[in-house]
Order: sequence, then C-alpha cells, then structure tokens
Amino acid sequence: MTSTKTFGNVDRRSILKMIPAAALGTMAFPAMGMAAGGAGGRYVHANNSAYDTLDPHTVNDVARVASRLNFYDGLYRWVDNPPKMIPWLATSHEVSEDGLTWTFQLRDDVTFHDGTNMTAEDVVYSLERMLELKQGAGSLFIPMIDPGQTKAVDKYVVAFTLKEPSAIFGSLVPSILVVNSKLVKANEVNGDHGQAFLIDNVAGTGSFTLSRYDPARGFVGKRYVEHFAGWGDNYLDEIEFRTVLETNTRIQGLMSGDYNGLDGYLAPDQVERLRSSGKVQVFEQESMRVFHIAMHNGRAPLDDKNFRMAMVHAFDYDGYINEIMQGTVARNPTILPGNLWGAPDVEGYSFDLEKAKSYLDAYKAEHGDEIRTLKIGTLAGFSETEQVASLMQNALAQLGIKVDIESAPWPVISTMMQSPDTMPDMVPYWKSTYYVDPNNWVGELYGSRYAPTRNISAYHVDYVDERLEKALVITDQDERAKLYEEATRRIYDDAAGIWIYNTKWYGPYTKNVKNVRFCPVGNGQDMRWSYVED
Amino acid sequence: MSVLKRLLSDRAASLGAAIILGLVLVAILAPWIAPYPGDVTAFHLADRLQPPSAEHIFGTDRMGSDVFSRLLFGARITISIAVIAVGVSVAIGVPIGLLAGYYGGFPGGFLMRTSDIFLAVPQIVLAIAIAQTLGPSVENVILALSLTYWPFWARLVYAETNALKKQTFVEAALALGASDLRVMVLHILPNTASAIIVRTSIGMGATILTAAALGFLGLGAPAPTPEWGRTISEAREFLPEAWWYAAAPGLAIFLVVMGFNLLGDGLRDILDPKLRKGSR
Amino acid sequence: MFVVFFISNVVPTDPARIVAGENATEAQVVALRTEMGLDQPLYVQFGRYIADLATGDLGKSLYTQRAIADDLLHRLPATLELTIAAMIISIGVGVPLGVISAVKRNSWIDQLLRILSVSGLAVASFWLAMELQMYFSTKLGWTPLNGRIGGWGPDEITGFYVIDSLLGGDWASLWDTLHHMLLPAVTLALPAAATLVRFTRAGVLEVINSNYVLYERAMGFPTSLIIWKYVLRNALISTVTQIGLIFGALFAGAVVVEAVFDWPGLGTYAVQSILQSDTKAILGFSIVVGIVFIGVNLLVDIVHTFIDPRTIQ
Repeated sequence: MTSTKTFGNVDRRSILKMIPAAALGTMAFPAMGMAAGGAGGRYVHANNSAYDTLDPHTVNDVARVASRLNFYDGLYRWVDNPPKMIPWLATSHEVSEDGLTWTFQLRDDVTFHDGTNMTAEDVVYSLERMLELKQGAGSLFIPMIDPGQTKAVDKYVVAFTLKEPSAIFGSLVPSILVVNSKLVKANEVNGDHGQAFLIDNVAGTGSFTLSRYDPARGFVGKRYVEHFAGWGDNYLDEIEFRTVLETNTRIQGLMSGDYNGLDGYLAPDQVERLRSSGKVQVFEQESMRVFHIAMHNGRAPLDDKNFRMAMVHAFDYDGYINEIMQGTVARNPTILPGNLWGAPDVEGYSFDLEKAKSYLDAYKAEHGDEIRTLKIGTLAGFSETEQVASLMQNALAQLGIKVDIESAPWPVISTMMQSPDTMPDMVPYWKSTYYVDPNNWVGELYGSRYAPTRNISAYHVDYVDERLEKALVITDQDERAKLYEEATRRIYDDAAGIWIYNTKWYGPYTKNVKNVRFCPVGNGQDMRWSYVED
Repeated sequence: MSVLKRLLSDRAASLGAAIILGLVLVAILAPWIAPYPGDVTAFHLADRLQPPSAEHIFGTDRMGSDVFSRLLFGARITISIAVIAVGVSVAIGVPIGLLAGYYGGFPGGFLMRTSDIFLAVPQIVLAIAIAQTLGPSVENVILALSLTYWPFWARLVYAETNALKKQTFVEAALALGASDLRVMVLHILPNTASAIIVRTSIGMGATILTAAALGFLGLGAPAPTPEWGRTISEAREFLPEAWWYAAAPGLAIFLVVMGFNLLGDGLRDILDPKLRKGSR
Repeated sequence: MFVVFFISNVVPTDPARIVAGENATEAQVVALRTEMGLDQPLYVQFGRYIADLATGDLGKSLYTQRAIADDLLHRLPATLELTIAAMIISIGVGVPLGVISAVKRNSWIDQLLRILSVSGLAVASFWLAMELQMYFSTKLGWTPLNGRIGGWGPDEITGFYVIDSLLGGDWASLWDTLHHMLLPAVTLALPAAATLVRFTRAGVLEVINSNYVLYERAMGFPTSLIIWKYVLRNALISTVTQIGLIFGALFAGAVVVEAVFDWPGLGTYAVQSILQSDTKAILGFSIVVGIVFIGVNLLVDIVHTFIDPRTIQ
C-alpha cells in the first residue's frame, strides 16, 4: 500500500514512544503530535498545478495561493465568507482629507522567520518591489500608485500617496505581502530584486516557515511558533502542499487518506464520488467566481445589441447547470456575484432559441442575412470551457450560425484577450476574486479605464463609465452599491456578456480536518486556523 | 498480382488488410452507419455518462453523446491525419533521399545532415515541440508529424539508392544515354518501392499512435472533435466509473495500429524473401 | 585520440539505427552503416549539443522565471531511473521470450508470443497506463496511484532514488520507490519488450539456420549446447544493437507515461510547459532529450565495439 507521510507520522509517533528518551535527541524528527492537549498535526494538500515559484510578488493566482497565504502576511487579511478584512500586520489606517494619502499603523511585535523585527521599511521595500517587477499583484497597484510614493513615516508607520483618490485601495491592502527587506537585499543578484532568491526561499512573517521545497513536488511548512498573531489550542504543526496534476489521482488519494484536502473547484461528478465514498467531508460555500462567456462587443456582428440578445438566449443555462454541473452551482444573472453587495436583482436570461431567432431576424433586417463564422476560444485543459463552447456551437448551428472553436493554453488565450484585434469573439472563463469589491468584476470587465487589457469586452458606454468612475473615488458604500447596481443593470440590458453561474466551493477534506476557514480570496488554503484531529 | 495472392494467403497480413479496409469503410460510411450521426456536435445532457446498453452500445460521454457514433467519426480524423502526414513525409523524404543518394557530394551530404538533425531527437518529442509552437489543431498535428517523420524515408531511400546506383543495370541505362532523372525515377525508384511500402505500412501505425498521444496531451483538435486521443483524455476524469468512455477509443486505436503492423509484417515477408518466415 | 576515433567511427552509426530500426532488413542496416561510416554526420551536431550543455544555459522559463537547465537537470534522474527500470524489465522479459519463441518455432507458445508482441506494439501507452492505473491502483489498491515515492524521498545524493536509498541504507525508501516504479515501468516496458521478442527471435533464427550451426548439429553436438554457445551470444549482440534504439523509444515514451502517473520527471515538466505554453521550456526539454539520446547511443556503440569484433574493420 502507499506509504505516505501521513501514515508515516502515525508510525513514527508510535515508534517514538518506544524509543528511550535519550535517543530522541539524535533524531531529526520534529516532536509533532507529542504535545499535550490534542494540538498539532500534519496536513497534506494535493494541488492541481505546480508550485514552481515561492515568490509572493510574481504571481497572484488561485493555483499558487497557498505559498503566499501561509508563508507571508499582508497589511490586512481577508477571512471568512462573506469575506471580511481583519487587521493583520497593520492595526489601523487613516485616509487624508483629499483621499490621496493612506497612512497605516503597523504592529511593532512582528518578526520575520529569521527573527528580524518587521518595520515600515520592509513594507516600503515590498510595495516598491511589486511595482518594479510588474507581475502578480503588482499590476493591481501600478495604475494607482507611482514608485517612490510609499514612505516610512515612522518606524512602524507607513504612508502610501496615490495618484488619485481610490475607493478600492483599501480592499487591495491584503495583497501587499511583506518581505524581509534586509534578507532579500542581501541576496540580490545584478539588481534582480532578489527574484532568484525568493523563487526558492521564503523571507516572510507568515504562519509557517519553509522547511522543504521542490518545484517538481511542492513544499512543506512548519508552524512558526513565534508568529505575532499567536496560536490557540489547536493548530497544525506541519503543512505540505503537493502538486498532483491529475484530478483522478487527487480524488483517489483523498479517499485513501494520502491527502487531507484538495482544491475545492471539482467537477460535480467528482464531488459526488467523494461524498458517496463516506470517507470525506465536503464543505460547501458560495464563492465569488463568476463563470461567463466574455463577448467582444466591439466587433461586428457582436457590436449590435440585437445580435448579442440572440447570443444570450442561445445558451442552455439550465441544461448546463442542472445536468453537466448537476445543480452544484447557482445561476448568476450578471457579472457581479449574486452574493456581493451592488449586485442588481434581475432575472437571468433564459435559453430560448425562438426568442434568439427573433432577435436574429431583427438583426438581419438591419444588417443583411450574411453572418460570418464566429470564433470561440477555449482554455486547453479546462473541460468546462470546452463543454460550454460545444453547447454554444450546437445552439448557434441551429440558428444557422457557424462557430469555430479554438483551444489554447490559458497564457496564450489571456494574451489574445488583451488586444481587441486578437480577442476571439467569445471566451468562456471564470472571473475570480482578487479583491472583494464590485470593481473586481464589473469595473475591470466593462469599465473603459481598464481597456483593453482587463476590459476585454470592448464595451464602452458613457452611462456605465460615469458610474464606475464615480464609484472608484467616493467611499460611501451605500452610494457605491447604488452606482454599481445601475451600471451592472445597464450592462445586463445591453447583453454585453453571457453570464452563467457563480461557483460554489466544495472543499473536500478528510474527516479529521477541522476548522477550515474558507474565504473566496484564499480558497480554503489559508491553513493557520485549521487543525487535524487525532 | 502474385504479391496480392501471397498476401491473402498469409493469415496475419490478410487480417491486417481486413482491419484497414474496415477502418476506411467505416470512415467513409460514418454518417450512414453511425446510430446517432448528429452526436458529433449534438448533445443530450440528460443522458450523460450512461453505461453501454442496446441503445448506446459503447455508452454515452460527458455531453450525453453516443460514444460509438463519435468513435466512427473519429476514424475519419485518425485516418486523414495518418494518410496526410505519412503521405507528406513520403513526398518530402523520398525525393530527398533519392537525390542525395544519387548525386552524393556536398548537396547530398547537406540534405542528409539536415535529416540527421531531425533524427537526433525522438519523433514524439520533436512533434510536441512543433505542435506546441503552432498551437493545438488537427492541421498542426499533421504538420508536426510530417516535419518530424520525413527523415525516416529520406534515410531509407538514400541508403537504397546509394547501393543501387553502382549496380550494372543502372550503369547500363546510363550507357544507353538515359538521363539522370529517367534513371532515378524509372530504374532506381521501383527498386526501392518494396522498402518504402513496408516502411509506410508500419509508419502509419506509428503515426496514429503519435497523433493520439498529441491529442491526449491536448495538442490536437479542440472539443467537440471526436478525435480518439482527446476522447481518452476527456474520459480520464470519469474513471473508473465510466470505464467505457476511455476503453472504446483505446481499443479502436489498438485495433487500427495492429492492422497496419500486421499488414506491414506480411508485406515485408513477401517483399523481402530473405527474411520470410524468419519474420519478426 | 580516442574521442576522435569514437566520434568519427561510432557516433555516425546512430541515425542509421534509428532509421533502420526493427523494420529494416539486415542489408539496409549494413548498407547504412557502411555508407555512414565514411562521413561524420553527427559530429557537428554533437559538438553543438555539447557546447549548449557546456554553457549550461537554456534560458529562463517564461512562466516561472526559473533557469530551464536547472529544472530539467533536477528532473532528469527521475526520468532516467524510470527509463532504466523499464529497460531492465523489457530486456529481462523480451530476450528470453524471444529465444524461446525461436527455439520452439511455430509451436503454440511461439504463436502466442507473436500475438502478444504484435499487440504490445499496437497499444497506446497513455491508454494502457490509464487502464492499468485504474485496475491495479484504484480498484485493487495493489500499487500506489502516482508519484515516485510516498514521502520526500531518501537523502539526495545522485537524484536516483534507488541508488540513494541503497547508499543511505534506507530500505523503506527503496521499497517504496520500487513499489511506485512498478506500474509506470511495466507500462513503458511493454512495447520495448515486444520489439525485443521479435528482434531476438529473428536474430536467433538466423543463427540457427546458419551454416556453422547446421554443421555442428550435423556433427552431433547437443542442441542445448549449440544454443548456449552461439545463439545466446548472438542474441546478446543483437540486443545491444537495439539498446540505443530501445532506450530512445523508452525515453520518448516516458513523456506520456509520466504524465499519466504524475512522475516528476522530464515528461511531466514538458506537459506542464505545454499547458503553460512555455515554448522556451519545451525547446530546452527537446534539447536535453536530444543530448541524452545521443549520449546513450554513443555509449551503446562503445559497448558494442567491445562485444562484437565485427564492428572494427
């Protein structure tokens, strides 16, 4: 049978009990599980993609969120669902009268894993590094703050001066993950901002310290006992995040106990399989990850509203959600997740080929009968996007419209999407949570300020832009909610996209894993709160 | 004629020929013999992942389509990939081998060095690199396979030509005033034909396997194309419950490749009497 | 001097064998070999690869910013270990079966082996891998699902877990490694074993039918002695001739088999790079595979020179 560390530990524990105390000193094992009070334990997570870098500033994706959340800390931290922001490295902040300067008070008792005390200088270095590298979360900050505009006002006070007032800067603050500036600077090679160092090493304050790392395998973290937030009675002594590319293998491994947890966005068939095995608990949470088909509103025939109306009525929402997704997801009528403030209360478009046909006739009356072949881009390896494209192709064929499906890996598709010239007519994909604010969805996808790189829809409507812009600068949430609601409603009326569902998160864990604290930002991989029961 | 007769008397080879004939027929007649010809692009979401039954002899897939019908249409893709890729390889490789072998010298050496570069890396690895660079589609799979497969024919024909050009009948033809082209096409090429035919038959099998592997790795045609390799990779997440989904295309690949290999073996036994019945 | 000798005499035979393969007649191989011994076709290319390797720089991955050469070298032992294991299995199974098949020519066992060997060459390895995994790992639970080892492996010395665990006396790791290796290695070995059965059978038959064996048989030497004396020696030679080719086929086949078993080697790296569209990484991968490929063929030719005096002419 498979021998794993999970089982190995149990064995080891029992072996340890038999070995005279004197011999223990020579053993390299951590004395895990020996502490009294049921604390401690080891958690093994199987991830669907590789942890090929540990650098917290070069990537900002869900696939590699675990290393960022567990090794590093941000100024604030997102927890729970619906997500709320709690003070973390910073205890509080204030915004200047003109809305430009954000001043954060930092804790004075935070230490990096090497024992160095964290100061405002580290925060300055970290943000400058993000702006300099222009990757990962850095790209969120580049539009709002220039290099050199972050200052250490005091040893534990840091101030950011923005280019213009921003309502969303506050919700981005958890993404400022702080690195140990002294350690990183000491390891800079040819002005690489320590990239070569941080790719394989950790220089953070986070809840776990790096004990083993192999990009082909994953990483192991050990509890950072001195973490400033302290530890309760129950915690994990060790976490391992392992790369297991094959879904089937992850599922089997979880059922056999090789792993304790998996990523929570499994196909419904898999969730069902896990549930029926009786060996696994599946936590269910409504997430904020909207699956939609982005449409190129700037290219004929999709620049015509009648044509788009035909499109939004040509997708079999119910068939897709109830059969393929087996009812495991909730219909989401607009681009804003239904469980987020600002989402308008509208009914989702229905699958109705008759209606689609009448819209199409209206379009033809105006533009003639000739309709060119449409192109749908799908994400290679993401079968849901393939299935959606296939359904769309089939429905449109019934309307007499020919569709070509082109598949490409995500990096290729996302590059194509960023230019109106190369953006396919339609691309099904998920808009995930990078920060919890309506701007993350509606602003970035339909606001002119984000064109063309993030507003890939080529959707430009003044009515919408006015509202989105205003919502970016005012801070009153009720007022902002109203603005987002109006903008989103208009986008819905314009049928600017095909919005399908909001993902539910089905976090599968072995039954002994307790206190998984799911948050749409961390996707249940923030392990500082969890523990494994004996 | 005698070749055909002898081929038919060899049980294994005639079985191989029968399988290939069957494949070709199935590919051509797919729209008529498939029980659900529409299922290449039509879906029945309520009937997803049904096990084999009288209605669906190989069950249904993740979209509720009939696996058997899609398999038949997949035969078209498989056979066209194999025929075109091998055809192009032969069309590139044979003239190059012929010219290089006949003239030798610097140009011949140059052509052969080029083919060596291709041969230094395993075919599938090179095909992966090319197909990845070009992007996933059937056309690019064909291109990748053609670009990586021609040196095999070039080398083969080169060696044969090199040996043949010193033979008396070639010298005789030249002495009678035949042009180089005439000698190459009418005298040398026919004598290399048996080697080419044997190689082609077995090459088809190898090409089908490589093409399926590319499809499996996601480098082939996008969904909902019923290509066999990609169907297997699609089916993977539904194992072990939906065993029929992966089993059917896997067995289809097996059968077809076996057909080409058996035929190739049989042809070699017949065309190369030296090794007859000492066959491998 | 030796290097020059080997490069000019041995390396050029490499593409000849790739081309000749198991489908070629002996005459073709000989013709290719004679012809190619005259020039040095791989010399330039070989030098270029060595130069590439010597600078050790294949660029950085577009996706992870890691040095591709480092990544590949880190994963190389995993793939080599799997390939070598598959090679041992295929030789250990293929050669004896090939001899049996030839000696018992046209018996039921010969027929059975012929059917099996034709089948072994026709099966798509990724599919076989999936089916075996489904049956032995998922259903029966006899073998681990995936990976190279359950934990983090023995203390790293060479990167080959079998060697490292032997050196460190870590028997638990050794067992675990072998256990993990079983299914991928068998999957990978199957087509190679099939090739060897066919090749060995043909080679042995050729010897059995040769004049000197007929002569000795006529002289009344016992068959078993003749088989030991000539047949096995010749089988060995023809196997070594095939090893380079088989290694190449196994190494290439590992790409797909690794992907199915999540084996952390070059193949898995290549598949990840495909998904990330990391063209540079794929290029580096092909170069490293090429280097290994050529290196092994060189090695085989050296060995071959020692056991088969005919190659030195």
